[in-house]
Amino acid sequence: MRKTSARALTAAVAVTLLAAGCGGGDGGSATTADGRKVVKVALWNYDTTPEFKALIEGFEAENPKIDIQPVDILADDYADKVTTMLAGGDSTDVLTMKNVTDYARFATRGQLKSLDSEVEALDKASYSGLDPFELDGHYYAMPYRHDFWVLFYNKALIKPADADLAKLSWADYASLAKQTSTGGGTSKVYGTYLQTWRSVAQAIAAAQTGGDLLSGDYGFFKDQYELALDLQKSGAAMPFGTAKSQKVQYKTIFESGKVGMVPMGSWFASALLEDRAKGTTDIDWGVAPLPQIKGDGTKTTFGSPTAFAVNKKARNSPEAEQFVKWASGPKGAAAIAKVGVVPSYTGEEVMKAYFAVKGMPSDALAAQAMKPDSVKLEMPVSDKTSDINQILDEEHELVMSGEKSVEQGIEEMNKRVKSEVR
Amino acid sequence: MTLSDSTTGKRRRRHNTLVGWSFILPNFLGFAALTLLPVFGTLLLAFTDWNSYSTPEWIGFDNFRRMLDDGNFWTALKNTSWYAIGHIPLTLAAALGLAVLLNRKLRAVGVLRTAFFFPYITSLVAVAVVWNMLLSPELGPVNQFLKFVGIAHPPGWTTSTDWAMPALVITSVWRDMGYYMVLYLAGLQAIPGELYEAARVDGAGAWKRFWHVTLPGLRPTTFFVLVMLTVSSFKIFDLVQVMTEGGPGRSTLVLSQLIYRQGIAQGRFGYASAISLVLFLIVLAITLVQFQLQRRSER
Amino acid sequence: MNTTTLRKDSTGTAAPRPATPRPGPPGGAGGVRAAAGHVLLYAGLLVLAAAILLPFAWMLTSSLKRDNEVFTVPIQWIPQEFQWENFTEIWTTIPLLTYLSNSLFLSVTITALQVLTGSFAAYGFAKMRFPGRDVLFFGYIATIAVPWQAYMVPQYIMMEKLGLVNTHLSLILLQAFGAFGVFLMRQFYLTIPDEISEAARLDGLSEYGIWARIVLPLSKPALASLALLTFVNTWNDYMGPFIYLTDNRLWTVQIGLRQFVGMYDARYAMIMTGSVLSVLPILVVFLLGQRYFVQGIATSGIK
Repeated sequence: MRKTSARALTAAVAVTLLAAGCGGGDGGSATTADGRKVVKVALWNYDTTPEFKALIEGFEAENPKIDIQPVDILADDYADKVTTMLAGGDSTDVLTMKNVTDYARFATRGQLKSLDSEVEALDKASYSGLDPFELDGHYYAMPYRHDFWVLFYNKALIKPADADLAKLSWADYASLAKQTSTGGGTSKVYGTYLQTWRSVAQAIAAAQTGGDLLSGDYGFFKDQYELALDLQKSGAAMPFGTAKSQKVQYKTIFESGKVGMVPMGSWFASALLEDRAKGTTDIDWGVAPLPQIKGDGTKTTFGSPTAFAVNKKARNSPEAEQFVKWASGPKGAAAIAKVGVVPSYTGEEVMKAYFAVKGMPSDALAAQAMKPDSVKLEMPVSDKTSDINQILDEEHELVMSGEKSVEQGIEEMNKRVKSEVR
Repeated sequence: MTLSDSTTGKRRRRHNTLVGWSFILPNFLGFAALTLLPVFGTLLLAFTDWNSYSTPEWIGFDNFRRMLDDGNFWTALKNTSWYAIGHIPLTLAAALGLAVLLNRKLRAVGVLRTAFFFPYITSLVAVAVVWNMLLSPELGPVNQFLKFVGIAHPPGWTTSTDWAMPALVITSVWRDMGYYMVLYLAGLQAIPGELYEAARVDGAGAWKRFWHVTLPGLRPTTFFVLVMLTVSSFKIFDLVQVMTEGGPGRSTLVLSQLIYRQGIAQGRFGYASAISLVLFLIVLAITLVQFQLQRRSER
Repeated sequence: MNTTTLRKDSTGTAAPRPATPRPGPPGGAGGVRAAAGHVLLYAGLLVLAAAILLPFAWMLTSSLKRDNEVFTVPIQWIPQEFQWENFTEIWTTIPLLTYLSNSLFLSVTITALQVLTGSFAAYGFAKMRFPGRDVLFFGYIATIAVPWQAYMVPQYIMMEKLGLVNTHLSLILLQAFGAFGVFLMRQFYLTIPDEISEAARLDGLSEYGIWARIVLPLSKPALASLALLTFVNTWNDYMGPFIYLTDNRLWTVQIGLRQFVGMYDARYAMIMTGSVLSVLPILVVFLLGQRYFVQGIATSGIK
């Protein structure tokens, strides 16, 4: 107690000092005691996100003159904190860009350093998810990771004899889901689980029909919505209202063996690997390409890249750039592929490392799933993205919970995007 | 004589002012520098265009004009008002009731008080999940009970645009009543026991004693609770965020959420500040009315 | 229920007056009824309390589940297998002890400062008259009407300029001098009759003396409720510490627990385990603080 009161007293003294107008102090030194340059990297959940550790350790091993220091921020509110920090003039050298929408916001405000010359030097053909970072001919970030959507399935429920998983159309997928559903009450098994996110209907429709999510004309959503609602009605998928209000986790329901198929992003693989290793689930799972709308044999999916950018106010800018370049290049890609993360740079060697991860499905189907013909961006970037995002989210919820019909919902989306977004 | 009288009067007044300020200053310094200043800065930002990084640009009333056309603003204002109208009286009544019930020498009263305070310290995620389960349209015990008593089509609660707000109000009353109960418990201790004795001697029953001794004695506490409840109702954020995220659709979108989205999430800090200014003026107007009413009743 | 009617003229006011002795309610039957009422009240309160604790109960059982058993449909109350090791694992998975002591330090310091300066300032607002008083008070009330979502960034920029970001001091300064304590204590002081301080002034006590020796002891229940609520609010605050504290060693429990929420999934059993543990200190503080809500403690000095 004595210590506390002493501290309280110190605080009280500090108040007086503050009133007298004192200040000062900065965020530590730009070099370590032994002369290494410090590069601070804003990232999330350092302890539980193995890719960051892999990148930092890999880079430091090759660059002993540079000390990378993680600035750990919570994943949930990452963008909000970075926004606030930058507003205050923070000098953290490298900023992780969680998605392209956040990236566009920071870049257009002029908070990020241009990386044009670094990007010019790249072998662009080996990168997926680089294009979204181009803003008016300039690049302000370099992707290191690129997740895209595939179909996860439970091998105990979905047999190869049931359907050709490599060539599923959405109609095939729906009938397979219905056929897989069994039971009721606590023993209910669903054929599929549709996560409540709007992308499950909307981004798939946009990617596979060529529709534009910013257009304000959303007729192309119709078929995917009808499919989802039909699955729900027939009992092959959990009702949207239940999934949303009970905060159902796709991981929980899939790992408990109560669902046959889950369309989900490739990040799900590393979570499943980890839980298998820990023994919290014994599910035998596989991956297949995302079902397709068009029957022309090409595999189109959607995804979202993650990137590193350099803060314009970085204290060790050249070293920061060096790190960003390394992380997005072949060496960084190899480092994260080894922990089961899909890198943005997809050379053959790298993908070999990815499939070699212990427990990773490496059959022909998985290989096909991980090599889509085209990966569309989940949500195109513009200054209107956030507003449109919000409207599409709200109306998605109303359509999926049956408060509005598909036609009414689409009409409302069209109307609101045209009238509210300026 | 009169001259020296007025100088001592002046001196005393000056002394009084100095002493008065000396009481307030330790708190006020910290408060003024770190809260008052940024708050008023924010209210000024309402007349600017600012993305948190640029230099604010003065644009007069443009933000307010934009607000008039913004469907989201009106929706949020309507929803927030509904929430406040439901939440304020119900929480006040529940908190007062609990405090009066638990303000007696009862065995284990401390445990009971703690139990009623628990909702306030239970993790919000747990609150959201359990209440959504209780209010689940098909399987929830609440609707099963309603069906049992003959209501054929009970509400869809958080899955329905019409009933999501009532569901939020119920949950928030449940959550907040213990908090305000604590304030009322403190207020009850300030009522002199003699007043109850006197009323009892007059033959006043329990209800009359409550009405004529307890309620008037609690007036300053009630004023405080009312103001805090008004403020917190109009600023409601966390519970909505966890329980419905403003949905379904926009049916539970509230002003604080809109301010957060427009400001931090979308970088329109000028516009977010303008909405805050309006929210501030609304709350202020209500508080001033409450203040006047309190003064009148004191006379 | 007492059925004796009141005298007509007594309905208007509750002020004490020369008490005319009146026959009290008859004993006997009333006593039995009172006892029965007592039992009923008790039973009612217990049932209500149990119902009220349902979400907490879910939180408690969830803390003993596996992460992938927490959110299920239909809701599951009893874990398939009790994961008692959650409660040992959490101390090593995250530096929970550091977080707890940071939370404790912040809560205790902020509560102490808030109670001290708040009750001091409240005396000026409630018991003294001087020019500018009401304007100042209005300033306090006005700021609580502005949502933090609006002024968070300007406040942060200021703190950054002062070089206080990423220190506990920033949070202490932000939260110790709020309107809440001043307003709460002022309202309570208003219930203390002015005659008491008048009498003390005549006895030669200074204003500071009146505050310290008379008003403060009289307001123990209010101080207890202020301390309690400030402690709880500081303990449970998430956004403040999240925005201001970057260094992991400075983090509080509430930020620490959110580490279990990843970018794509969350360890909900661990979150519930941590939430249960973080409720315990509040429990202790509450049980200690609520003892001051005993009738007579405030009025004993007035007699």
